[in-house]
Amino acid sequence: MSRFLKKSLWVFHLNTGSCNACDIEILDVLTPFHDAERFGVKLVTSPRHADVILLTGPITLEALPKVVNAIEAAPRPRVVIALGSCGVGGGIWHDTYSTIGGIKGLQKILEEKGVKVDAFYYVPGCPIRPEAILYAVAMFKGLVSKKVKSEIKHAE
Amino acid sequence: MSEKLKPAKLLVIATKSGRVTKKYPYEEPLVSPDFRGLIEIDENKCIGCGACVNACPPNALQMISDKETTVLRYFIGRCIFCWRCVDVCPVGAITGTRKFELATDDASDLYVHVVHKKPKCETCEGQGGTQKMLYYVVEKSPVTEEYLNECPDCRKKSFIESVAKRRTGGVSE
Repeated sequence: MSRFLKKSLWVFHLNTGSCNACDIEILDVLTPFHDAERFGVKLVTSPRHADVILLTGPITLEALPKVVNAIEAAPRPRVVIALGSCGVGGGIWHDTYSTIGGIKGLQKILEEKGVKVDAFYYVPGCPIRPEAILYAVAMFKGLVSKKVKSEIKHAE
Repeated sequence: MSEKLKPAKLLVIATKSGRVTKKYPYEEPLVSPDFRGLIEIDENKCIGCGACVNACPPNALQMISDKETTVLRYFIGRCIFCWRCVDVCPVGAITGTRKFELATDDASDLYVHVVHKKPKCETCEGQGGTQKMLYYVVEKSPVTEEYLNECPDCRKKSFIESVAKRRTGGVSE
């Protein structure tokens, strides 16, 4: 179990310029069919109440100062979860002029501004299936183990 | 119906429909056969031609050239699971799977590398392409060994020289 996420997760959903597909899947997770609330997940309306910032979208330049403010407003220990291909790696907007290309650019900017984040989590998918979000939540709770690992294959 | 009886009506509906919530992490997910998930690269089949790199819309597949190796890098975090690479691969090295449980706490988990060896040019000691791509080309269309052991630049040079020789009747300048 992650040492930051021992109790119920209060989640602030932060859209940073995504296409709304991931946002709809987040709402889907909270419906009775998938019901993320059985793991204690609850959406809150202010980052000041949140343990987790749920970040979707490739982080546009317009949204960047607000994103930094929202993350700064969350009390520590704070955790940022990047959802979807855009959040994790920038998606198909990874090298466009108006975005910073996912969470990697944000990590640098947060370091420059002195905003500390205790843990980053990554959930790729385009859009993420509701089951994938549930799997991520269960992984943070320590109920299931992570399945992906980096591989180096040598072609013979 | 009066206001007081509404909860009773709800109870009737709830008992009729029963439990709808899925037990997901403890049971199999509902994945349709059409679902497109993670791709897998077979390193024994891959020839490192770069067709998938050209086709990939978000540049999740990238070729990184080194002095002795060419690396095909697959970044899962940027992949949009369109499976264009599966369609375009000439040797069928890339297959699609239905995996989607990709959550991780370490960004380096999201990289898959396929390392290819580069062939050495006999004349200039430079490199070009990958070793396996050369074998693939030879199988498809036979070429002479002189051309095979050269890098693309030397190949162009030797071709131009041979044409010039033919024109000048074998007398080089």
